[in-house]
Amino acid sequence: MLSIEARGLTKDFKIVQSREGMKGAFRDLFDRKYRTIRAVDEIDLGIQSGEIVGYIGENGAGKSTTIKMLTGILQPTAGELKVNGFDPHREREQFVRTIGVVFGQRSQLWWDLAVRESFRLLKKLYGIPDEKYHAHLDRLTEVLEMGPLLEQPVRKLSLGQRMRCELAAALLHQPSLLFLDEPTIGLDVLVKENIRRFLKQINQEYGTTILLTTHDLSDIEALCHRVVMLDKGTIIYDGGLTELSRQWGGGPRLYLELEEEWDLTTLQGFTKDITAEWQHVGDRCYRVLLTGDNPSVSEVLSRVVPHASVKEIRIEEATTEDIVRRIYQEGVPNA
Amino acid sequence: MTTSKLFIDYFMQYVKTRLQYRSDFFVQMVTDIMFQTVNLVFILVVFNHTTHLSSWSREEVIFIYGYFLVPFSIFAAFFNLWEFNERYIIKGELDRVLTRPVHSLFQVMMETMTPESLSGALTGMAVMGWASWEMDLQFHWYDPLLFLLFALGGAAIYGGLYIMLTSISLFSDSKTDIQPIMYNVGNYGRYPIDIYNKVIQIVLTWLMPFAFVGFYPASFLLHDDRWLTFAMLTPVMGFLWFALGIMVWNLGIKNYRGAGS
Repeated sequence: MLSIEARGLTKDFKIVQSREGMKGAFRDLFDRKYRTIRAVDEIDLGIQSGEIVGYIGENGAGKSTTIKMLTGILQPTAGELKVNGFDPHREREQFVRTIGVVFGQRSQLWWDLAVRESFRLLKKLYGIPDEKYHAHLDRLTEVLEMGPLLEQPVRKLSLGQRMRCELAAALLHQPSLLFLDEPTIGLDVLVKENIRRFLKQINQEYGTTILLTTHDLSDIEALCHRVVMLDKGTIIYDGGLTELSRQWGGGPRLYLELEEEWDLTTLQGFTKDITAEWQHVGDRCYRVLLTGDNPSVSEVLSRVVPHASVKEIRIEEATTEDIVRRIYQEGVPNA
Repeated sequence: MTTSKLFIDYFMQYVKTRLQYRSDFFVQMVTDIMFQTVNLVFILVVFNHTTHLSSWSREEVIFIYGYFLVPFSIFAAFFNLWEFNERYIIKGELDRVLTRPVHSLFQVMMETMTPESLSGALTGMAVMGWASWEMDLQFHWYDPLLFLLFALGGAAIYGGLYIMLTSISLFSDSKTDIQPIMYNVGNYGRYPIDIYNKVIQIVLTWLMPFAFVGFYPASFLLHDDRWLTFAMLTPVMGFLWFALGIMVWNLGIKNYRGAGS
């Protein structure tokens, strides 16, 4: 079953273009010039229920706008959108019962209330029956280790404590779909790990579908089987994480420090039957990029060692971060 | 049904929050009482210097003024939307509100209400009581019921108007100064309408219907039947303006552009 189904989803913003200087300001008063900015440009997206999908993109790529359309906050300019079987904006009040939302940069809780009171008000807002509420809250309290936090006002919590409570708040009504916008922003490594573990757990236990945006690609590596990459309002990649690195990341990189200086073409000559690309990176230091289907470090070494003596070897696996950076810098190669 | 239950829940939370800052709560209470007392004394002193206003006696003017305070304080308690632009649009709290399964305006009203403003209604009723005692005014059994209906209607007119003005923020996030202007115009509703010229009378009746918040119903309670129809229209006008306010709000929500990323 599809949890999110978007076809040709588009959002335009009309922006007043202000003119320069005092004279321009006066002209703006009477004759306004508008410019339309397309934040999200006809994207198609289908997410199966039970999936964990990472939604990534640079600042201003249209991630937040998409999330806001999917959660019913914004009305799309054009396109079809069904989330959990609802039209998110038109049927907002019914629709939001089926989703949970966490915005990492903004609190979902009431600042002055104790955490428990915030939860209680949410219970009333969602009309959760007592029994269900207590059972579920107990479970969440245990897993998220919120016991000591419940009686404190939200404003006194640390960021990591608050984020755990935010997650609990978003899950109180047991939504089948969870939106997370930068859930780990500003958190330390340990808390990040806890939160990831928790997300995985609820995904497995309740089959909760999760869509998360993040700048921290280690979140994606830890959680998602699938990434959707957005650039300038359009989807430039939608698929598995491993395929992503195979398609764009290439294989590992081999760093070699040789005993003496070698000519690049000579080195390239040693490995002419495998797809390895030599680069000179410093005094007697070389980088070998292994691309193609079956690049093997040992094969490269076996060809070099008979000719040149190797002083030091270092192998680097391309990280997702490298890959993504490369995609943004170099654009989409033949996508 | 669920709405009134939710109202009680929000109200309880409000009280709890206020009680949390214990000293603050008492200070606030003392300030409120002092403010209302000063207000009361001020009204009596100021009006003691004017003997009458055109054909209206001093007591009648005071009575109208006291009546006005009742719908006005109901309005002030539940439509505290002054900081909407700052808090909900610029700081982006509306995003949170929109992910909850209850009407957005209701949530905003509940989160910003200041029930302590209702103390103004007590002052108003004290003023009315004093004036009617001075005038030896007799009330019918149905007068208190109509009074309640009128007060709610007046608050709804005020509310609807302010919801409309607040909704401007949903269309454009630039600050407007219409609210304070409207607030000042609102004060004209607390004086007898026949002291104004025709144009202002029409404006205060149909365009910015503040006469329904103060004068028309108060004149009825004073047993002056010249504006009977208008007085009876108060609840209807309240309903219409409030409905209009909600319509504009809903349109604004459709237009809402979200807070920056």
